[in-house]
Amino acid sequence: MRGFLRRFKVWLIILGVLAAVWFCLLGLHSAVGSVKNGRRQNTECTTKERVFDEAEVLTEKEEEKLRKLIAKRERQTGCDIVLVTLNESLREYAYAQKEYITEDKYVMLYADDFYDEHLFGYDKPYGNGVLLLDNLYREDDGWAYSWLCTTGKAEGKYSSRMIDHLLEKSYRWSKVSPYFGYRAYINQFYHDMNGFGAVNVNFSVPFLFLASFVISVGFVVTNRGGRAGDKTTDARTYVKGGKVKVNHREDQFLRKSVAQHRIQNNSGGSSGSRGGGGHHVSSGGRSHGGGGHRH
Amino acid sequence: MIYKCKNCGGNVVYHPDKKKMYCPHCEAVDSEEEVPSSVTECANCGAPVEVSRYTSACKCEHCGSYMILEERVAGELTPHLILPFQISKEKAVKLLEKEFQSRYFTPGTFLSAATLTGMEGIYVPFFLYGYLGTFDYAGTGTKVRSWRRGNTEYVETSWFRVERNLDIDFDRIPVDASIDMNNDMMDLLEPFDSGALESFQKKYMSGFEGEMYSEGLMSLEHRAQEKARRDAEELLRDTISGYTSLHADRKHLNLQRQTAEYALLPVWVYYYSYHGQKYTYYVNGQSGKVLGKTPVSKGKMFAYGASLWGFLFTCMVFVKMILEVL
Repeated sequence: MRGFLRRFKVWLIILGVLAAVWFCLLGLHSAVGSVKNGRRQNTECTTKERVFDEAEVLTEKEEEKLRKLIAKRERQTGCDIVLVTLNESLREYAYAQKEYITEDKYVMLYADDFYDEHLFGYDKPYGNGVLLLDNLYREDDGWAYSWLCTTGKAEGKYSSRMIDHLLEKSYRWSKVSPYFGYRAYINQFYHDMNGFGAVNVNFSVPFLFLASFVISVGFVVTNRGGRAGDKTTDARTYVKGGKVKVNHREDQFLRKSVAQHRIQNNSGGSSGSRGGGGHHVSSGGRSHGGGGHRH
Repeated sequence: MIYKCKNCGGNVVYHPDKKKMYCPHCEAVDSEEEVPSSVTECANCGAPVEVSRYTSACKCEHCGSYMILEERVAGELTPHLILPFQISKEKAVKLLEKEFQSRYFTPGTFLSAATLTGMEGIYVPFFLYGYLGTFDYAGTGTKVRSWRRGNTEYVETSWFRVERNLDIDFDRIPVDASIDMNNDMMDLLEPFDSGALESFQKKYMSGFEGEMYSEGLMSLEHRAQEKARRDAEELLRDTISGYTSLHADRKHLNLQRQTAEYALLPVWVYYYSYHGQKYTYYVNGQSGKVLGKTPVSKGKMFAYGASLWGFLFTCMVFVKMILEVL
């Protein structure tokens, strides 16, 4: 056991440091949240509800848990946090507003309007907040779309990379259960708002699991003791002074040729792809940011 | 012959730590005198001594005295150089233990359960070859550069004439001249510090075993040349860089032998027995480098592998979580 501890001392230290950093960050976010934001100022908002589970993918108990979490995270971020689930085509809805529109933007229109109609916003109507619209319905092109609508300071904070990351993470968790997916959305939003927005990584946990396994196997194989020892001489060990005398050195250019060819643009679909979507003005004339995800 | 203490008559040996002749019986230093003896019996106790064909120094099995077979290190057989032992017996054991502990999958019981069945400090015969190498090289190299403009990719290939002429001064490339010693092991024991070599004095052999060369200078030279050739190739490559591909048109290494010396180099050999298996270890008597395979514990291998996996995975997940909330 003592030998084991000695061997893994470094790992234990690294783990301890990482854990400390993690908890410091959590503490920092919580502290930032409680100091920065005052009480909710928006009195015109038409509803107290935040979880609109039209598709009925959540149980009563789960909804209640999400409402509680949202209430806490709203105070910590100073943003309204809204969740809408749907299971219907938004084609008609979208075409009623615009003549020409692609499938991935149906959700954008609906999400923006939903936010505006309820006068969401922590500080004022159409103010700080975020809304996740998750439509389970597969539109004509066979994809199911979701949209993250950001407004106010959330719009300012969120780059499209951060939006992609949040939606990707939420989608990955939703494979476990929709509840986990929506919880990941709320928590990630909280961390993004109180963090530096510096790095967002998209390594999946199974990938890390596999990568660490491969490294461990590599370690076992290289240390399994098949060798008597390592070579400790190099090319200069027996060279006097370790130096080579270069009598003649020539690198003379002879000729050159240039070949060119056209690059084929290859395109291929993937099971889950991300849509872009930056800042725009909603039909109600309000500014929103956002981005989509399809699967 | 044998070195005896002028004060007490005990067997005086060379002490690697003190770097002096030392009498273990009365602790006197430099108190030795030479006492001649025959090849067949011990000069101390008179017991018959059996020596193999190439032994030049040995230990009497009865009284433990160290004898040197003078005629095997004299005349034509006189070594030019000797590298006195710098690592003592005690230090060698410590180095071995440290090495066993540092090996990940060596069973924890190996140190306590393995029995030392024998050990020898041996002066192993080596030939040291010196060469003046002249490397002449001419070839064609290409450099490839590519870039994009719009939908078109351009690949530019440039050809160069590459010429090199190098002088490489190889000094004292060692090749072991003992039939009994494993060549690969002796190669792995390198390097020996050639700066620590001294002119041969037979007193350094007292307290150790020794061998004289059993293979000739000429018949072993190909091994030294092979080493020189391999090193020269690498040194040549070091001077040619930046090419994507290289094709040799002319490549010639001329090795001109400058020196060839007969030297005795110090090696500790330890024999262990563990669960009925025999294990042999070599310790470089000058640098302390340890060689030899140790048994592998499957349980330990599994436990360490799994723990590493666990640690790595947890650390990665933490890093991921930290990066996500930064």
